[in-house]
Amino acid sequence: MITGTGITKTFRQRGNVLGKREVPALRGVDFAIGKGGAASFIGESGCGKTTLGRIIAGLESYDEGEIAIDGTPMTPLKPKQRQPHFRKIQMIHQDPYSALNPTRTIYQTLQAPLALRAGQTGRPKAWIDERATEVLSLVGLDPATVLSRYPHQLSGGMRQRVVIARALTVDPEMLVADEAVSMIDVSLRLGILALLKDLRDRLGVSVLFITHDVATARYIGADGELYVIYRGQVVERGPVDTIIADPVHPYTQSLLSAIPVLHGLERPGEEPVVPLESLSADQSDSGCLFEPRCPFRGDRCATERPLLQVTKEAPQEHACFYPERRQVIARPMSEV
Amino acid sequence: MPQEAPGVRVDGLTVVYRTPAGELPAVRDVSLTLEPGTITGIVGESGSGKSTMALSLLNAVQPPGRIAAGSVEIDGLGDVVGFAGERLRKARGAHIGYVFQAAQNSMNPLKTVGKQLLDLGRSHGVADLRGLVREAKELLARMGLDGARVLDSYQHELSGGMRQRVGIMLALVLNAHLVVLDEPTTALDMITQANILKIVREVHAERGLTTLVITHDIGVVAEVADRLAVMYGGRLVEQGPTRQVLGSPRHPYTRGLITAIPRLTGDIDEARALPGRPPTLATVPKEGCVFRERCPLRMDVCDTVDPDAVADGSRIVACHAVNVREHA
Amino acid sequence: MSTVILESAGTASTMRRNFWRGVWRVMLRKPSRLVGAVIVLGFAFMGVFGPMFYPDLLPHNADNIYAPMSGEHWFGTDGQGRDVVALVVTGSRYVLLSALVTAIITVVLGTSIGLFSGFKRGRWDTVLMRLTDMKLTIPGLPLLLVLSTVWKFGSAVEMGLLLGLLGWGGVARAVRSQTLSLRERGFIEAARGLGLSTTHIVGKELLPSMAPYIAMNMLIAVTGAVYAQVGLFFLGVLPYEANNWGVMLNLAVFGGGAMTTTAALPYMLAPLLAILLLTLGIVLVVDAMDEIFNPRLREE
Repeated sequence: MITGTGITKTFRQRGNVLGKREVPALRGVDFAIGKGGAASFIGESGCGKTTLGRIIAGLESYDEGEIAIDGTPMTPLKPKQRQPHFRKIQMIHQDPYSALNPTRTIYQTLQAPLALRAGQTGRPKAWIDERATEVLSLVGLDPATVLSRYPHQLSGGMRQRVVIARALTVDPEMLVADEAVSMIDVSLRLGILALLKDLRDRLGVSVLFITHDVATARYIGADGELYVIYRGQVVERGPVDTIIADPVHPYTQSLLSAIPVLHGLERPGEEPVVPLESLSADQSDSGCLFEPRCPFRGDRCATERPLLQVTKEAPQEHACFYPERRQVIARPMSEV
Repeated sequence: MPQEAPGVRVDGLTVVYRTPAGELPAVRDVSLTLEPGTITGIVGESGSGKSTMALSLLNAVQPPGRIAAGSVEIDGLGDVVGFAGERLRKARGAHIGYVFQAAQNSMNPLKTVGKQLLDLGRSHGVADLRGLVREAKELLARMGLDGARVLDSYQHELSGGMRQRVGIMLALVLNAHLVVLDEPTTALDMITQANILKIVREVHAERGLTTLVITHDIGVVAEVADRLAVMYGGRLVEQGPTRQVLGSPRHPYTRGLITAIPRLTGDIDEARALPGRPPTLATVPKEGCVFRERCPLRMDVCDTVDPDAVADGSRIVACHAVNVREHA
Repeated sequence: MSTVILESAGTASTMRRNFWRGVWRVMLRKPSRLVGAVIVLGFAFMGVFGPMFYPDLLPHNADNIYAPMSGEHWFGTDGQGRDVVALVVTGSRYVLLSALVTAIITVVLGTSIGLFSGFKRGRWDTVLMRLTDMKLTIPGLPLLLVLSTVWKFGSAVEMGLLLGLLGWGGVARAVRSQTLSLRERGFIEAARGLGLSTTHIVGKELLPSMAPYIAMNMLIAVTGAVYAQVGLFFLGVLPYEANNWGVMLNLAVFGGGAMTTTAALPYMLAPLLAILLLTLGIVLVVDAMDEIFNPRLREE
């Protein structure tokens, strides 16, 4: 179980002599991902979803708030003490080409973390080789052909599987997959998504999926929870299929409306939402963060910031003063 | 000077790359017609030859690659495969606009957009540079940008979506009527992608263009294209009107590709990945069908004979299994 | 399954064998590389065994000074009638040994400081890089001139040590910037996330990725060191005690008047040719480094 409360992070960019520019990346985000559970962070680039994922994987610090791994809060711990906790959370990077060391064979890549574990637990050397072939089989690769290869001899999809296998060498509780399929060939993407789902089912590993593509988030599991993030704030949160079918926040609706329609197979949604184009570079930080681009903004939006809550309009949490259901997504022809 | 949207006829195009293992075909015997005024989308995975195909349209295949056979006939220009030197350079830009991948930084980071626009104008001998700038501003305004501000900006000051619009502007400002967009929305966010696709559609209609979109994403083609062509392993395996191809795909690869796209609705378990992996230049089979390794309909004949592209009405499919079934 | 395990258990020795087979393939790809390797090996042989073929005191002949090139004396004789080829061969040990010492010190110091600085970042980085900057701003030649007045450099190791201590700055800076860019790569981040030790990350992940770079720097440092010390001896700031190519050049020019008369010309050309040939050999070998240490280029 990994929980976060009020996670806040501000990037300080180097400014001029007169002062630094502060860019808020996360503004008090709460989350909870149970054992074997699934969650997805959805949003545009720069919304803070990747930063949050990296914080959860222990690769980035946070300014305020608290992260607890299996009930142990991380803030009071020294970096050395945190390490074993964060090791339970493994990151799957977007780019499988840079995630593997080009000068090391797949066997060497897997052997290093396994040898470390064997040393800590007093297991024999033979266990390392056995486990290396085991994790490769788990991710659907043939150990006999893959072990002695270098990364450049594998396709993108196979490399991403090796990356997942490497993460499995430490028996993680959670995998953080950051855009893990966006650099994989289209015909193979679903295979990686299915693998992540399969690891959930078989090993009870929870999966945190970070993406800008809402549709892929569904494939990690129907019971998954979706977090829609806009400029560092969660604006809507709930079960994946509920939010896809009945989004109430205008930003979620814009995201869903933007997904291409497969004309010929699908019929576009009836009330697509197109956000207003905001040309001003420095958006104001008062009021609702989406207000400058929101086509449905009301009087309160410019001055007051809505908080994540459940109202009678929708069962899922949302941060909007004027939530309203809209039919935005495309439906299959056969369904209508 | 009002121009007509040109038609393009690619016939038997073969492009080979010289490698240590000999000359290998990246595009093999591809025939494709772009009707005047239409948007055609070419879909393919990495190594399918789609980008090489797009470059051939401008006769811009770089060594070690070369066009080994075939012709690219463009209305009002002739066969560009025979073009060279100054004549070719003039044709690019003035007749054919090319929009580079959004992900690539195709602009000079040291020059403002305006400076690059003037360079472009001068190199094509535009006398009225003021008019060129006016035209550029109009185009940018049409795409929802502040023209004056954008022309004063450097590449790093523009967001991905803005860069892509600048790319479209640079491709159109010399009044080209044939436009090639290479991966126009890769690395862009969903909302920005939707925006760019809308702009592509509108500008296409307003200026009377013939447009070719190259992408790996069927969704992009589904949104903008009238006709859809699917490439695999250097071959064009299926083409036809977008809605028909999507609604009832015939080639097993097209079918597999559509089933492999994660969707927002419907049964998750129905979607599945294609087995195997796409071929690279080195692993494309020398004879027989390029898709047979991953094909559920594989027959004996597929191992030895490369299926011909057979036309059936507005659809063209290159598959033994499909064509046999239809003739039986 | 068992074959797989057997195979991977024997991985270390198999890998080493594959590596050398790969190196051979890379060298064969261009004949120039083989030529370079032969030249470099030839010089190494000359430095190690060459002096053994000659007596400690080379035979003089006062009647045959500044002799022209002939079958007996390929590059003539010097001002004392000694064979020039013999001088070049016996002089090579000092030059090559000190160059090797310089190269090793440059690379070891430069790489470790650069790695440490780039990997630790923060305060350590600032301190080390300021140190490097300071070192880089010290002009080498004047310092050497000053030092040579108090230090005689009779031994090649001392010479190499000094040049090495003066030369690591550039390598440190370059290695640091490489480290900074590599540490952002996914595989380094993954190694940290897996809890692998810093020793492992630096030794097994970072260093091999920089190996071509380090090897190239090492080879180039050799040529740099040869130029530097030959220059010093040529200028005559160092005593003539050692037999050395630089001393030969100095004597040829200032003693034999090689710049004005033709008599001592072969005497001057011989060490110059040796330096040129060594540089050429190294340049030809450097060309192969990238392919040797990059598995993708090695296997292709």
